[in-house]
Amino acid sequence: MRLLTAAVALTLVVTSAGVAGETVSITLPPESIALDAGRGMDQTQTSCRMCHSLDYITTQPGGGTAQWQGVVTKMMKVYGAPISDQDAKLIEEYLATHYGPR
Amino acid sequence: MRDRVDEVSRRRFLLTAGVAAATVYGCRLSFAADVDPLLAGRQLVRYPEKTDLILLTARPPQLETPLSYFDRAITPNDAFFVRYHIFPIPTSVDLDQWRLEVKGHVDKPLSLSMDDLKRFPPASVTAVVQCSGNSRGRFAPRVLGGQWGDGAMGNAVWTGARLQDVLKAAGARASALDVTFDGLDKPAFPSVPDFVKALDLQRIMSDPDVIVAYEMNGQRLPMLNGFPARLVVPGWYATYWVKNLSEITVLTDRFEKFWMKPGYRIPDTPCGCVEPGTAPKNTVPITRMTVRSFIASPASGTRVAVNQPVALKGIAFDGGYGIREVQVSDNLGLTWSRATLGPDHGRYSFREWSATWRPTGAGNARLMVRAVNGIGESQGYEPLWNPAGYLRNVIEQIALVVD
Ligand code: HEC
Repeated sequence: MRLLTAAVALTLVVTSAGVAGETVSITLPPESIALDAGRGMDQTQTSCRMCHSLDYITTQPGGGTAQWQGVVTKMMKVYGAPISDQDAKLIEEYLATHYGPR
Repeated sequence: MRDRVDEVSRRRFLLTAGVAAATVYGCRLSFAADVDPLLAGRQLVRYPEKTDLILLTARPPQLETPLSYFDRAITPNDAFFVRYHIFPIPTSVDLDQWRLEVKGHVDKPLSLSMDDLKRFPPASVTAVVQCSGNSRGRFAPRVLGGQWGDGAMGNAVWTGARLQDVLKAAGARASALDVTFDGLDKPAFPSVPDFVKALDLQRIMSDPDVIVAYEMNGQRLPMLNGFPARLVVPGWYATYWVKNLSEITVLTDRFEKFWMKPGYRIPDTPCGCVEPGTAPKNTVPITRMTVRSFIASPASGTRVAVNQPVALKGIAFDGGYGIREVQVSDNLGLTWSRATLGPDHGRYSFREWSATWRPTGAGNARLMVRAVNGIGESQGYEPLWNPAGYLRNVIEQIALVVD
């Protein structure tokens, strides 16, 4: 396993003694996932990073067009992802090509 | 201990594993199952208040506990797994501002500060929290969703106010049906359903172990595990353990929004499973955890020496009946021997176990573990399947190389 050395920022501000008055703040490390280069990558990066990081894509089991059509349709129909039909088709093809059966 | 009941299923398992029953031990076995391209070589990351954990996703964060932490009953807070559904998640909470609202079908709506919450008689329970989809990455055929290995689980001593006491103080009306729980994580996109879960009021009022926890292993909760308070529902899957809790609403009807339906449902069959690759006819909400056990030490793939004792360690747990027995096998389930159980931390806790194994011949060996709970439920040789990748509780195994 590789070790990603991400900046750890943890601030614990205790403004007064005891539990009351405690503010706990954290800073999430930057997300650092890059998709494979190819036709449709730009659209995929724009459309699929609006609600979650792109590792939602890269950590899934690889799959063909049917799998990725299902995913893109679910994102649009169930979660309301604002993606044009034209972009959706391009994204499905991109995903099936670069994240196909492994 | 020869097990005749399971013999048919065991033989089927041996066939699918590609292993003849006679070639048991000290011979070459296929290690295909251990070399999983999706689960091997995953990246470790360090998030705030956390040690190195396995990265699933960054936004929202989903982090897995490495298996090596499951050689002991209590999982350290900084090694505890993280699972959120929607983004953004809370990253800053000021306790002067934070309130837990209790509202809906109640006589006296409450807005509780942390000090108010701590005025209820404190209750503690040691309980396992496990993601419904723990080990989803091992499903075959594979299913979409978080590709967890086995580390979407942890066990802690949770301390807080009994939910019963909070609901009584608010005067929850007896005619109410469901109670919903909402946290500070709110989706940026209004079309994404907010993460809200429901429990039956009667279930809460009859279970003093359901608590609103503000302490985890004697410390405040890490932000990513639900600071300042989270719901603790011992025996039930993590989906109900709402984090960064901010709202409790008592309802006069049943709550069936997205994360209760169609989310987090299992086939309405006795095993919660269907034929691999098929869809269930009817579904019900996932609730109680199934029996599981793991060998955490040594790690799979470790080299050990012939005739030298090997100390096996791990944990077992179930959905609240407690672990009665843990057994290990070095001959693919032909015979099982009893492991020694560690201290009993209560029926909802990990039960530590240990055993000594002495390899008698060189080659590749497979060690299996299974547990039996307080009502005789155990684990099977063949994995059960459902489309969401829930409830995995097959007999787990590790491979050791004997030199
Ligand atoms: C409008 C918000 C939104 C957009 C835009 C979006 N997703 Fe999602 N996605 C979600 C939510 C919510 C989940 C479920 C998270 C959970 O269960 O923890 C999810 C989950 C997933 C999963 C996991 C499998 C599953 O079904 O839960 C995959 C894969 C995925 N998204 C891929 C994509 C791809 C590809 C795109 C671009 C076409 C995309 N997402 C765009 C909201 C979105």
